[in-house]
Amino acid sequence: MADVLFTNVRIFDGGGETPFTGEVLVQGNRIARVVKTGYGLRSAPVSGARTIDGAGAFLMPGMVEAHTHFSWNDQPSLESIQRMPPEEHILWCAQVAKRYLDMGWTSCVGAATAKPRLDVVIRNAINDGTIVGPRYLAASQEITVPGGLGDTTAPHLPQSEFAFGAVVSGAEEMRRCIRMFCKYGVDSLKINLSGESITGMPSEMSQFTEEEIRVCVEEAKAWGKRVAAHARSTWSIKQCVKLGIEVIYHASFTDEESLDLLEAHKFEHFVAPGLAWLINTCHNASQWGLTPEVTRKMGYHRELEAALESMKAMRRRGIRILPGGDYGFAWTPHGTNAKDLEYFVKYVGMSPMEALLSATAWGGPMMKRGKELGYVREGCLADLLLIDGDPLADITILQDQKRILAVMKDGEFHRAPPARQGRMTRWAA
Amino acid sequence: MPKSPDEVLFTNVRILDGSGQHPFAGSVRVRGNRIVQVGRSAGSAPAGDALVVDAAGATLMPGMTEAHTHFSWNDAASLAGIQTMPLEEHVLWAAKVAHNYLKVGFTSCVGAACAKPRLDVVIRNAINSGQIPGPRYLAASQEITVPGGLGDEMLPHLPFPEFSFGVVVNGAEDLRRVTRMFLKYGVDAVKLNLSGDNFVPGADAKTTWMTDAEVAACAEEVRMRGKRIIVHARSCASVKQALRHGIRMIYHASFTDTEALDMLEAVKDEVFVVPGIGILYALLHEAEPWGVTREQAVAMGYEEEWAAACESLRAMHRRGIRVLPGGDYGFAFNPHLHNARDLELFVKYLGFTPMEAIRSCTLYGGQVMLRPQDLGVIREGYLADLLLVDGDPLAGVGILKDQRRLLAVMKDGVFAKAPVAADAHAWERAA
Repeated sequence: MADVLFTNVRIFDGGGETPFTGEVLVQGNRIARVVKTGYGLRSAPVSGARTIDGAGAFLMPGMVEAHTHFSWNDQPSLESIQRMPPEEHILWCAQVAKRYLDMGWTSCVGAATAKPRLDVVIRNAINDGTIVGPRYLAASQEITVPGGLGDTTAPHLPQSEFAFGAVVSGAEEMRRCIRMFCKYGVDSLKINLSGESITGMPSEMSQFTEEEIRVCVEEAKAWGKRVAAHARSTWSIKQCVKLGIEVIYHASFTDEESLDLLEAHKFEHFVAPGLAWLINTCHNASQWGLTPEVTRKMGYHRELEAALESMKAMRRRGIRILPGGDYGFAWTPHGTNAKDLEYFVKYVGMSPMEALLSATAWGGPMMKRGKELGYVREGCLADLLLIDGDPLADITILQDQKRILAVMKDGEFHRAPPARQGRMTRWAA
Repeated sequence: MPKSPDEVLFTNVRILDGSGQHPFAGSVRVRGNRIVQVGRSAGSAPAGDALVVDAAGATLMPGMTEAHTHFSWNDAASLAGIQTMPLEEHVLWAAKVAHNYLKVGFTSCVGAACAKPRLDVVIRNAINSGQIPGPRYLAASQEITVPGGLGDEMLPHLPFPEFSFGVVVNGAEDLRRVTRMFLKYGVDAVKLNLSGDNFVPGADAKTTWMTDAEVAACAEEVRMRGKRIIVHARSCASVKQALRHGIRMIYHASFTDTEALDMLEAVKDEVFVVPGIGILYALLHEAEPWGVTREQAVAMGYEEEWAAACESLRAMHRRGIRVLPGGDYGFAFNPHLHNARDLELFVKYLGFTPMEAIRSCTLYGGQVMLRPQDLGVIREGYLADLLLVDGDPLAGVGILKDQRRLLAVMKDGVFAKAPVAADAHAWERAA
């Protein structure tokens, strides 16, 4: 792997400063040097590196998706995800993993998988080079209770193979389930603590006993794993803070007490609201029978309002809010994930700078890589994007694959910048 | 490399058209997924909007066909080592292998059996839908075998079908049910293990295992649905049994007698024999690192089988019976992507000329892929599956083993491996 020198790029380093013009040298899988250039500043000579003249393009850290479901198959229901056979499902996951990298997500945090081993297998296949994909933390299936979100068995078809999630009841069943997923090699356990209105169980409602949740956390910690929770209801958010569940997905319904709790422990938790799901279920799902009238009746419009208020409040309190929005349904297809950043700016009141930081600087710790990931700084891992334009002026350009000129992961180009097309004649020999 | 344009013109190529006729200098134009023009003039053809590939005298030949392919064999040293790979990993493995076959010049492969029920079907479908890159593919079933036969990997204390490499059946109705199951899954071919194999203790290559009633039940079902039966048939009796039941795809055929050869010759326009010579050679000469010493290989019967197979196959070749390459690649001692070695072995041991060896994977390849009308040779109207080779395969078919000599691979009009352009290494401005 040759060294790569980016020259003449505007560097957004992930630290929150205004971008500056400079050069970045990548050696191996690390960023070896970041230099400011410009009037009076000489560029340092480098020999042996491939030089990429960025012509003023925007160089930023690769983005981190904090709530990813490779195995959701862009269908309109949990049942149609569940019914995909395992062979097709794993190929689908491999295809989606590549798509995330194409779109500039060099890291993804698995938020749950649709069959027991899909996430683990994909992570391993990425790591050993069998397939192409982002850095990935593998999740378990969603762990739920009979009748809860993710229990897609029918009364006359009670076999566990019909369930989208892993259905448990009682502390010891929970323990067995956690142990099984740890044996399979997951990085995190996903537990559904609240309902989800589309399944018939409203989002404000909660499930699981405190004892079951405690066993989940205790067992996961014994194995050194992380717990992530589907937590839309107020009670479930509080449970996350009280019992030490690090990753809180959704967090739509908050009250003063839950916000205070979150603020008091703000560096122990990550919140990924998954706004795309709420927004698009409310407004862009008519084609699948979910007209605004239907989703209003389900309660999604009220939830969206509550979620936006909650996020605004969390932002004011400095709680870490990350992008990642349950993409992989028919009306939130994979690859459109950068819309989350637009939503943060448009509805949560973030500046484009804050939105960008939420996908980069906070991504490092979310990926359990601290400050070696998510920055364009010397010594950091070389996950880099070269963008045509300025995302700080227009955050939506990150949604456009054509504007993402190059994607580098771990020092290697997944997509090298396009060389200028010239001749049409090729010499084969 | 940009996507292939709609039209590609190969100029300055030496065309080895795959039909058996001598190469000639000329040009080949591809539009969409078809060969639209084969020019015999050494002069330049008008390029129009085509991407011009000036081959500087390299050889252009049809993509090769592998007639006995196991994408799901995972380069392990035993059937158990293949069987214990979990399903999810197995699919990704098969997808990777499919892509690699295409990259080394096999633009068509005939699935000869897969290791779990749906692997071949799923990979074929994924290739056809464009989800993964791979050769044209005919999907096979698992190996269907009888208790104790080749492919029954169940241990006495673990008698669970999931532990078995092949599907173990007993009786005609059982075979009928399993055949129907695979047809339901969408296979192109159902695989029967009619003979044993020296690899299996107690079921060596000269043994024959299935009853005529069992084979007949399978044949009836398969024919009803218009699919193909393919058989593992090393023993003389199994070759004859296959022919008696109208089976036209015979793998191995190591042991024959005059009657078997006569029977084969009588249907030589219909039957394909794919010996899988590569694995016999490897077990006899190259398997020591995996615990099969020369002495063991001889004791297992591989020396005897090698001698018998060479004699049988030479006789078949003399009689004009089509013998095709494809050699059970996918074991540790006979790994994937060495497949083109079969051509060398054909020349060295079976009395093939280099031209005949190439024809066996081009002209005959189109035929074995069930597309004789538009696959396997470079001819106007045929599918654009093409290889650009640095050198002359007729001077040494061994060069087809060497990836570096393969300058380009095109399948269905699209480059799977694009010719390196003279300026490909120059870094230019990004924006």
